Formats: sequence, structure tokens, C-alpha cells
Amino acid sequence: MEYALFYAEGADALPYDPAQDDVGEWVDDVEARGVSEYGERLRPEQDATTVRVRGGEVLVVDGPFTESKESIGGFDVIDARDLDEAIEVASKHPVASFGRVEIRPFVRWPDAAPGSRIVPPGFADRAVEGRRYLMLVVVEPGGERAAADGRPVEDDGPEAWVREMDGRGVRLFGEVLRGPADATFVRRRHGEVLVTDGGFAEAKEWIAGFDLIEVRGGLAEAIEVASKHPMARGGAIELRPMWPFDVHEDHVARAGREAAERGVRREPAASEVLAEVAR
Amino acid sequence: MPGADGADPVAPGIADALRDAYASEWARVVATLIRVTGDWDVAEDAAAGAFARAAETWPRDGIPRNPGAWLTTAARNLALDRLRRRGVEADKVREWIAMEELSGRAGGPPDPADLAGDALGGEPDWDDRLRLVFTCAHPALPMESRVALTLRTVAGLDTGEIARAFHVPEPTMGQRISRAKRKIRHAGIPYRVPTADLLPERLGGVLAVLYLVANEGYLASHGDALQRLDLSAEAIRLARLVVDLMPDADEARALLALMLLQHARSAARVDAEGDLVPLPEQDRAAWDAAEIAEGLALLGSAAGRAGDASREGPAPARPYRLQAEIQAVHVRARTADETDWRAIVARYDALAMLADSPFVALNRAIARGMALGPQSGLDDLALLEASGRLDGYHLLPAAQADLLRRQGETDAAAARYREAIALARTAPERRFLERRLAEIARS
Repeated sequence: MEYALFYAEGADALPYDPAQDDVGEWVDDVEARGVSEYGERLRPEQDATTVRVRGGEVLVVDGPFTESKESIGGFDVIDARDLDEAIEVASKHPVASFGRVEIRPFVRWPDAAPGSRIVPPGFADRAVEGRRYLMLVVVEPGGERAAADGRPVEDDGPEAWVREMDGRGVRLFGEVLRGPADATFVRRRHGEVLVTDGGFAEAKEWIAGFDLIEVRGGLAEAIEVASKHPMARGGAIELRPMWPFDVHEDHVARAGREAAERGVRREPAASEVLAEVAR
Repeated sequence: MPGADGADPVAPGIADALRDAYASEWARVVATLIRVTGDWDVAEDAAAGAFARAAETWPRDGIPRNPGAWLTTAARNLALDRLRRRGVEADKVREWIAMEELSGRAGGPPDPADLAGDALGGEPDWDDRLRLVFTCAHPALPMESRVALTLRTVAGLDTGEIARAFHVPEPTMGQRISRAKRKIRHAGIPYRVPTADLLPERLGGVLAVLYLVANEGYLASHGDALQRLDLSAEAIRLARLVVDLMPDADEARALLALMLLQHARSAARVDAEGDLVPLPEQDRAAWDAAEIAEGLALLGSAAGRAGDASREGPAPARPYRLQAEIQAVHVRARTADETDWRAIVARYDALAMLADSPFVALNRAIARGMALGPQSGLDDLALLEASGRLDGYHLLPAAQADLLRRQGETDAAAARYREAIALARTAPERRFLERRLAEIARS
């Protein structure tokens, strides 16, 4: 069964200790088991760009859709035997020891081809041919399927968007996630694995799915792609650039080198991009 | 089991047999059906249908020699029909029929035990009911759902009964249970006894669910009754099941002992009017001697096993054993004055080391007040009160009132009793506190 793992600090995060961040071992373990499909680290939250469409107007802000503690720092798609194996895999990830790992099952469509996977076979070896963004599709309270710009609700399905973006070669893969009631949180504290249910509050926004996109036109094209997604009208789309690294590099040295990049936005300011597009 | 095939279908005997079968076979039938069909709703409906069919046919045809096998077969046939009609699980049905042919039992209903341990090959041959218990208590489910699902699926209580037990509207409880079943399906919660490395931690989760059920039975959190003996009985039945299935699990035995030693006093804890009778005033002859003997025996055997530290790791945490030992001290005392309060304090000291719980601290303070004099207890309670961790909990001022009363500080005690009365959550507790208040006002 396939799951998305999302890594975040969470409300009870401990201080980050690079010495504990042995992610290379984790990657080796999940690859050896054949559990891993694909995963990537995301650039820090200041490089997030959130896109909404309200009343036909594209609204873009720098930053994630939610407050920082819950902002996602990376993701993996895994194919585990069942939730217990997903919990075990999640609990061994370095983030579990200071932050938390969220396990989200995907929606399994009854008409899906047998044996089909979320991540296309061989994807990890595919050359990067543009700039990649993770597009988080966010449901906002009261905003779900609201068709805020007055379009009829039947336009809200993502099928047309998927066809268009697949045709343009922009969309690499993506899928709808089961709702927060089916989420499971995993943390590791004092050597103990703590498993809790999603604890979903109706009033909170939540991630309903994601797509990985690859664009040649930079953030401007990514915003254009995101704004066409039907959920941009009722909810929000968060665009997150990747932050690849060599998992077998010395992690203490890496953390030291990367510290300077945290807190500084490398992406262009969304307002400038919009102004450029307008010209 | 009374009766035999086709013989003596007397109505009262049949009713007893049906009730016995429900109590002893429901979980087994549901658990087997879930394993084979993978569908909790089909399994429950089929089990309910099988019991309905038994109620129809047993009075006419007599009680079958093996009611469990009869019920499992009937439920399987119902489930098969339903799956066939649905058409989507054709493979599952074929597999199932093949299995039946393999088992090749002519002339009688197949024994459900013959079906065990196939589809999930490579695992120890666990009883299906144990799979069910562990799945219902999975940590990825919210705690309240674990309790509700365990009572529904393992104990066979209906949604209305569970809703009433926890004082929530029936639709709310129904939603809670169906949401839990949905999560089991959607999130891929396995129908399996955890592997050996996970077992200690997951068994703790199972025991926590049973402990919560028993606690609610022992001291209802609201309502007109002090105790909910139906819940206590279910908790004991489920704990007995876990002990039967995992005889080496010491904490499970200790939890069962704790439940039995508490339940043994249930008849003496309330008077004819349903009012609370405190421990020192209880008629010890009215305690259930058989339950006490069983509880003490379980504790003895758990103690015998406690020496094997290797199985439970370097720092064995045995909260249920400690609590059961406290109950054992109480039931061993022939009179209230003979209670070995120092032994009780020692157990609460150990419990306080295990868990930083304000409820443990409260009980420890009371025990210290009894062992070392009221002032020791009052000093502890003052600290606890200052911490604010038991704000609004009636048993804190009630404990203060009792120790002040023992110390002869009538006015201060009366003030605390009034505080406790205002906070009390069940009518019997409120009446008891009012009675105490009236007593000290007279003295």
C-alpha cells in the first residue's frame, strides 16, 4: 500500500541536532527493502509561494499556507506492506526524533490499472529538465469546492488540469490523498516510538493532494500552472522548490554549510514575478 | 453446553444457550469472518445474521453440539452470499471455497480453527480474536474510538449500549465507530498480532483500552449510578480473553487481577438505596470470595514470573501489577483497621516513579495520610492543589475533607465537603458527601 510521508517540526519539536540527522542510513535502509518510490527535501519555508484565485484574480503571497511549525520540510512516497511497516519506516527517519512524520494514505481509485504506482517506474533516474516544484493542494476551511468565482462545481475536478499539464509535460506525477481523519503521526522521543491519530480540527486547512511539476519558465510558469488548478479557487496551492543534497555526505558538515541559506528567500518575490508577467 | 442435536428444545435452555453463545462466540465469529473477508461490516452483519438465525432455528432443531462452529458456518454462508452478490470479491470467494475443499471435513461443519494461519502465512498461529483485539486498539486510532470499537467488535455490544455507557448520543457513537473502521481500511491498519519487537508496546495499548473500560465500570464518570457493572463485566471478559490467549503476559494477568479485586467489592460498595459505602464501612462478608481468590492467584502467578526481567527489558514498568497489589492489601485485611497502609504507600511511591500522574499523587497522599497521620496527607494534598493539576476534580477536596475530619478540624472539613459536593459528578457520590457533611455538622 502506498503512502506519502511528510516531514515537519510539529508543535512539540526538539532542537535540531545535525549529529542525529543520519538520513543516509535511512535512505539505504528503505531502498534495500524496496519500500521507497521517491522522496525529496524541500527548500525552507521562506521559499514557498502560495497561490490562490479569488473572483478570477490570481493572489500570490511569499511563504507557506500555514504557520511555520507545521510547514513541510520534505516528503517521500513509499510502498509499504501496511500501516505498521509505514510507521516503522517513518519512526526511523531522522526527523521523527526531533519533529514529526505524517503518514497519509492515497486515495485508491477503483479503476486504477493493477500494479500502477504513484511514482512512474524509473522516475528517480530521470534527468531534471527544468525547475521542479512540489505543488501542495490545500483545502481551506469554508473554502472547499466553494467555486468562489462563481463557476459551476462540475468544473472543480482536476481531470482537465491533469490532462493539460500532462500534455505540456509539466506534471511529473501526483495523487489525491485520503483526508486528515486517515492520517497518522509518528514521533520518536527518548527511544520510544509515539504513534497518534491525525487529531483533525474541522477549522484547520489541510493538504488534500500533491503534484510534482517541472517547468522551464521558473516561478512565473509554476504560478501560472498552479493558478489553473481548480483547488486554487476554493483553497490554496503551495509551491515548494526542491532542495536536493547528497544523502551520503557528512551531515554535520552539510548542516553547517546550509545554515546560511535558512531564512533567506532564494526564489524571486512573488509580487515581482506577477508584475513581470503583467508587463 | 446444555442440550444436544435435536434434543430437548426447552425455551429457557435455548435462551441460556443463545446468551452463552453470544458471550463466548461473538468475538470468535466476527474475528474469523474479518480475516477471511477483510471487510468489517460484512463480518459484523454476517455474525449478527448468524445469531438471528440461531434464535430462529435452535428452538425448532435443538442446540447444535458445537454452537461456535454452527454459528461460524452460518455466518460464513451469509457473508459468502453477500460477497457473491456484490461480485467484486470474486477472487476472495474462490480462495475461500478452495480452502473449504482442502479442509475436506465431511459430515459436519468445518472447525473455524482449521482455517487459521493460512492467508497470513509465516506468522504464529494466533487466535483470530487476538488479531481483532490488537487491531481495535491500534495506536493510529483515537483512544475513544479504540474503546468504542473494542466494545462493539470484540465484546459485541451494540452502538446504543456503548453510546449510553459513555453518555454520548447514539449517532455520535455510530459515527465514531464507522470512522474508526474506515480508517482501518483506508490507512491500511493491519489485521494482525504485532511482531515480537512491537508486542510489548502494542500490548500496553490493548491493556490501556481494557483499563479504561474497567475504570468507567468501577467509577462511572457521570450519571445516576456509582458503578457500571456491565462495563466492568465486559472488561473482565476481555482481559480474561487476552490472558487466555497470551498466558505469558504478566501485565495482562495483573490487570485482570486488578479488575477482579475491584469487582469483588462491587456489591458492598453501594447500599440498598444505591448510595456509596466507603471502604472502611463495607461489609467484608459481602465481598466476592471467588473473585478475590482468583485475583490473588493471578497476582501470585504474575509475581512468580516477574523474576524473568529479560523478557520485559531493563526497567520493567508494571503499573497494573502495582495497582493490583494495592487492591490485594485491601482485600487481605480482615477489618479496615488492619489495612497495611505502609504497604500501600510503598506501591504508590513506585507508581509515582513510573508516571507523573496527578491521580496517582492524590491516592498516594491519601495513603500517606492513613499511614503516617492525616497531616502528612494534607501537606501532600496542599502541594497537589497548588499545582492546579486537579482543578475541578471533586475527589481532591473530598480527600482533604476526609483527612481534616479525621484530624478533628470540623469547620475546615465542612468547607471542603461543600466544595466537593459542588463538583461531584454522580448522584451517589454527591449524596455520600452530603451525608458526611451532615455527620460532622452534628458532631
